[in-house]
Amino acid sequence: MKLSRRARLLVLFAVPIALMSIVRLWSGEDGLTSSDTIGASLRLSVPILLAGLAGLWAERCGVLNIGIEGMMIFGTWFGGWGAWQFGPWLGLAFAVLGGMLGGLIHAIATVRFNVDQIISGVVLNLLAFFGVRYMSDLAFVGQPGGGVSQSPPQTSAIPRFDVPFISGGDLFGWKSPNVLLSLEDSGWFFIGDLAGILYGLTNNLSWGTVIGVAAVPATFWILWRTRLGLRLRSSGESPTAAETLGVNVIRLRYVGLLVSGGLAGYAGGILAIVASSYYRQGQTAGRGYIGLATMIFGNWRPIGVLGGASLFGYTEGVKLVANDAISTLFLFVALAAVLLAVMAVVNRTTTRGIVAVFVSVIAAYAYLAIEDVPQSLTQSLPYLATLIVLATASQRLRPPAMAGVPYRRGESH
Amino acid sequence: MELRNISKGFPGVIANRDISMSVERGTIHAIVGENGAGKSTLMKTLYGLHRPDSGTVAVHGQVVDFRSPSDAIEAGIGMVHQHFMLADNLTVLENIILGAEPAKAGVINAREAGRKIAELAKSLGVEIDVNSPVAELGVGQRQRVEILKVLYRGAKTLILDEPTAVLVPQEVDELFDNLRRLVAAGTTVLFISHKLDEVLAVSNRITVIRQGTTVGTVTPAEVTRRQLAEMMVGSDLPQPAPRTTQVREQVRLEVKNLTVARVGQRDLVRDVSLAVRSGEILGVAGVEGNGQFELCSALLGREHSTGTVAIDGNDVSRASVRERMNAGLAYVPFDRQREGLMLTSSLWENNLLGQEEKFTKFGFVNVGAARAACRTVIKRFGVLTPSEEVPAFALSGGNQQKLVVGRTMSMNPAVLLAAHPTRGIDVGAQAAVWEEVRQARDAGLAVLLVSADLDELLGLSDRVIVMFEGAIVAELLPREATPELLGTYMTGAKVGS
Ligand SMILES: Nc1ncnc2c1ncn2[C@@H]1O[C@H](COP(=O)(O)OP(=O)(O)OP(=O)(O)O)[C@@H](O)[C@H]1O
Ligand SMILES: [Mg+2]
Repeated sequence: MKLSRRARLLVLFAVPIALMSIVRLWSGEDGLTSSDTIGASLRLSVPILLAGLAGLWAERCGVLNIGIEGMMIFGTWFGGWGAWQFGPWLGLAFAVLGGMLGGLIHAIATVRFNVDQIISGVVLNLLAFFGVRYMSDLAFVGQPGGGVSQSPPQTSAIPRFDVPFISGGDLFGWKSPNVLLSLEDSGWFFIGDLAGILYGLTNNLSWGTVIGVAAVPATFWILWRTRLGLRLRSSGESPTAAETLGVNVIRLRYVGLLVSGGLAGYAGGILAIVASSYYRQGQTAGRGYIGLATMIFGNWRPIGVLGGASLFGYTEGVKLVANDAISTLFLFVALAAVLLAVMAVVNRTTTRGIVAVFVSVIAAYAYLAIEDVPQSLTQSLPYLATLIVLATASQRLRPPAMAGVPYRRGESH
Repeated sequence: MELRNISKGFPGVIANRDISMSVERGTIHAIVGENGAGKSTLMKTLYGLHRPDSGTVAVHGQVVDFRSPSDAIEAGIGMVHQHFMLADNLTVLENIILGAEPAKAGVINAREAGRKIAELAKSLGVEIDVNSPVAELGVGQRQRVEILKVLYRGAKTLILDEPTAVLVPQEVDELFDNLRRLVAAGTTVLFISHKLDEVLAVSNRITVIRQGTTVGTVTPAEVTRRQLAEMMVGSDLPQPAPRTTQVREQVRLEVKNLTVARVGQRDLVRDVSLAVRSGEILGVAGVEGNGQFELCSALLGREHSTGTVAIDGNDVSRASVRERMNAGLAYVPFDRQREGLMLTSSLWENNLLGQEEKFTKFGFVNVGAARAACRTVIKRFGVLTPSEEVPAFALSGGNQQKLVVGRTMSMNPAVLLAAHPTRGIDVGAQAAVWEEVRQARDAGLAVLLVSADLDELLGLSDRVIVMFEGAIVAELLPREATPELLGTYMTGAKVGS
């Protein structure tokens, strides 16, 4: 099948929505595309998305970053502290600075002193974990509501808004109509679902979330359109070639890791300031590692990371808001896999076909046979998707060629 | 440009010893010398890749101290490296403009860059898709990108370290026309090559380096090719005796209807059938990128293909690379650094590659035997190195090539796929390698020889085929194959029998 780029994109969006609509009408369970689910998914996706972008920036400049989790922990702590002290906006700024501190430590260790990049990242995670406990001891203990594992609650929050005209937002004091909500309530095939999704993405939005999502186009634009971006990527692809053209690889790796840390810190800030209103120990809950999975899933590209983060955020969102709809998620996966299998037969790609059939059988079994879906099973769905991507697309994955390889100036040969 | 008393040592070797030379502005100054004589080391010093142990460099009468290539670039110097300095996952355009991006407020103007590159490419007579990733290019294309890279920068002094090693003669001519134009406009070119005819044809002056120091500077008018070679080696050149070939009946490599398809592109190799007999060398001519690489990869079993391949009568069409090697196939790769060597591993470990089974017992490597085998190769092929313990990157380019060829030949193959076997090897050692191949052939080896060097191709081969766009377009005998005739086939201007 040969389709134009635009047609392919359209199919990529329309077909899953249509499938979900079928699932909804069939099972009578509307949790998969309700605006509540989607809204929650968006909020849950953003920290993962930013962690994934943090990984992308680090590896694009040539340094593996296992320490994203630690940088996020710095972000939650500094964010929680800053927001408590100075209000939410400065809190976010402190979160970014905290993450950058982590990035700087990682950069000094790996770029300046050539410490093994994995070891440095692991150490950073430990350092962050114990470091913030110590700092909590200094800053939060004795304050009302604070303790070693928790900051006092914040008193104000980042403002939220509804998008005018489509989601009933205000415009200079005038309340605009809420078109999408009415459409969602209609429950029509496809239209109802599409409206639900769009409404979920456009109502009760926090500016913190909007800024987080804006990091995707910003990352793409900087890395693929600017001089800095090209040089930064060349430091991850071939530092020797870059060096022979006068590119300062060392400096660019610092830049990459500082940005990486800043993004991870912002992800932590979102957790402490937007998703809740205080810092709590363990708030990151492994999202830094999930972010790395989305980076691989997304083939080290911003749009791909967005796709991966949406996948993880969505399964979390369904679980949180529409727990009853979880089993229908398996029905959806089964149907989607059948469709992929048919496409594989048309395109004569055997491996992909076999994998698709396999997945669809398992998912169908899970839908029909399992009454009470264990949480661990649903939680593993996005990981399963990542594995499938790795298994079927590993030929086409293009990680930066020299990510993870230490670089010393003047050692080109 | 003035070099005064430059010395540079590496652990165990002195690469440059007290070198002094001066290069006049607006000339093409060639530097020739044996493999390992210290040419690349000297050029790297000039480009700021490392600093000399002693001595000074002066540009336009001013003494400079380059701490990094950026300093050299600032002084108007550009360099084509002997081993490609390209980032595989970046596109051709990105590789070319890197470090000299046309940009406004930091945003790259890709259209302007593309236009400028297209102009340059046209003046060089090369066709290249600037948006394809370098990973998809063959060695010849990569070489063109390297040349475009330095021309794009518009440097005032160009250092070209073997820029023509895998270019066919037409392309070399285009490059030289370009260089002459630049020189007329005031550019200075430093040019390294082992192809002495090229050197004599294009340069204004020639400096000869032997064992790390200069032995003299001459003008092309003063010397013949032979005299130049003797200055390099320091003695008479060995003159290989011409011999008659003895092609035997037995077919060792038989290929029928081999096709390598790629989704969405035309076939990379199109319905190729050929047979190489015992004692025969079959030459493959063609502009690089016309399916030679894919043909070799398919024969080796690395690339999916349809059709049949048989070695000594055994069908190996579905066999793995290992099985094919066990059946007697051996390969001299197109690019020694990408496909042939582990750069940071020792020479003996490199030499072990592909014959681990021969040197292991119960899963343990017999290190002593492996080292001894490597020493044999070093001696037999004249690899210049302090020992077999040094890492491969410490060898000069030509010596790396000798090691790769030596390793392959020491496996005593039945069928040899040799791609540019003497790329970067100096004239003396080249004759020695040819002699080795001839001897093995006389003992019954069948060779498929891919080469951009027509002297090599016509001098060694018993038959020559020409590949164009993946298909065999002509088969000739070396004595009827003039460069002009080959040229017309290679560019697809004519299709023969
Ligand atoms: N990085 C290095 N470490 C150790 N020794 C080196 C290194 N680079 C070069 N050498 C040694 O320096 C000597 C000169 O090498 P150089 O690469 O300059 O030779 P060359 O004249 O360019 O030869 P070729 O024609 O084969 O390219 C060689 O003996 C080589 O082994
Ligand atoms: Mg050299």
